Amino acid sequence: MLIDKGYTRVRPLAGGLDGWIDAGFPVEAIE
Amino acid sequence: MNSLVHYVLVYGVPLIFLNVLLEQLGAPVPAVPALIVAGALSRDGKLSSTQVLLAAIFASLIADYLWFRLGRRFGYRILRTLCRISLSPDSCVRETEARFERWGLKSLLIAKFVPGFSTVAPPLAGASGSSTLAFLTYDGIGALLWAGSAVAAGRAFHHAIDRVLAGLENLGGWALLVVGSLLALAIGLKWAQRAHFIKQLRLARIEPHELKEMIDRGDFPIVLDVRSPGGRKNNPRAIPTAILLQKESIDTQLGDVAPHREVVLYCT
Repeated sequence: MLIDKGYTRVRPLAGGLDGWIDAGFPVEAIE
Repeated sequence: MNSLVHYVLVYGVPLIFLNVLLEQLGAPVPAVPALIVAGALSRDGKLSSTQVLLAAIFASLIADYLWFRLGRRFGYRILRTLCRISLSPDSCVRETEARFERWGLKSLLIAKFVPGFSTVAPPLAGASGSSTLAFLTYDGIGALLWAGSAVAAGRAFHHAIDRVLAGLENLGGWALLVVGSLLALAIGLKWAQRAHFIKQLRLARIEPHELKEMIDRGDFPIVLDVRSPGGRKNNPRAIPTAILLQKESIDTQLGDVAPHREVVLYCT
């Protein structure tokens, strides 16, 4: 969908949010 | 009479039970062809359509309830495991989540007719906290509709199916080889399709440490949280600076973002 809107440099994050958290990187609470 | 058809007639109902159970657990063994054949045989009075339907519904409920409990126990993480087993690259977690949130438990009524959604819907129901009784009710009706339509199709086209079975009967012992080869081919094609899909994803993905380095360097990539509202409710945390994207307002939210910017998106 993003590529259709003209965004050419789109990459998914490997492992998603869980992968980010498992790597020990910071997260913030959302409301 | 050691033919394939003979075994189908003798072990028909247990075979249907096993086939449906394995498919609903996530194994790549399609159950619809067997249900159609069973429907044709029931039209000829060789199998009981009631027993076939009960076996299919019971097997379906057992497998789905197991996934439902795992969904309740492990939440959305169980979906990753399922996607690895089911060999259905089209069953993107994000899409199935959105579909389930839109229709709720009613989606179980048609889940088995949608490739990739069938195995993912029960753990989603568990992860979303649905009641066990409501889940079993909708899932049971969905299983009846799914198995019932396959059996009905078999009954409707029993002449054509009988001709195919007669052809297999004439092949004698080779019939098992033909059926086994077709099944192996179907599974092989699914594996190849899945391997291609995963390879494409791996080529395009960014690792967490790469994203962290980009942020630390001050490259400021646009980070998009594309989880569904249910996914965010389940884990109410996000990567700092991430935009919580809403499907219906993408244009507004990304209005100021130039198309040449690096975009990183993530789900659960």
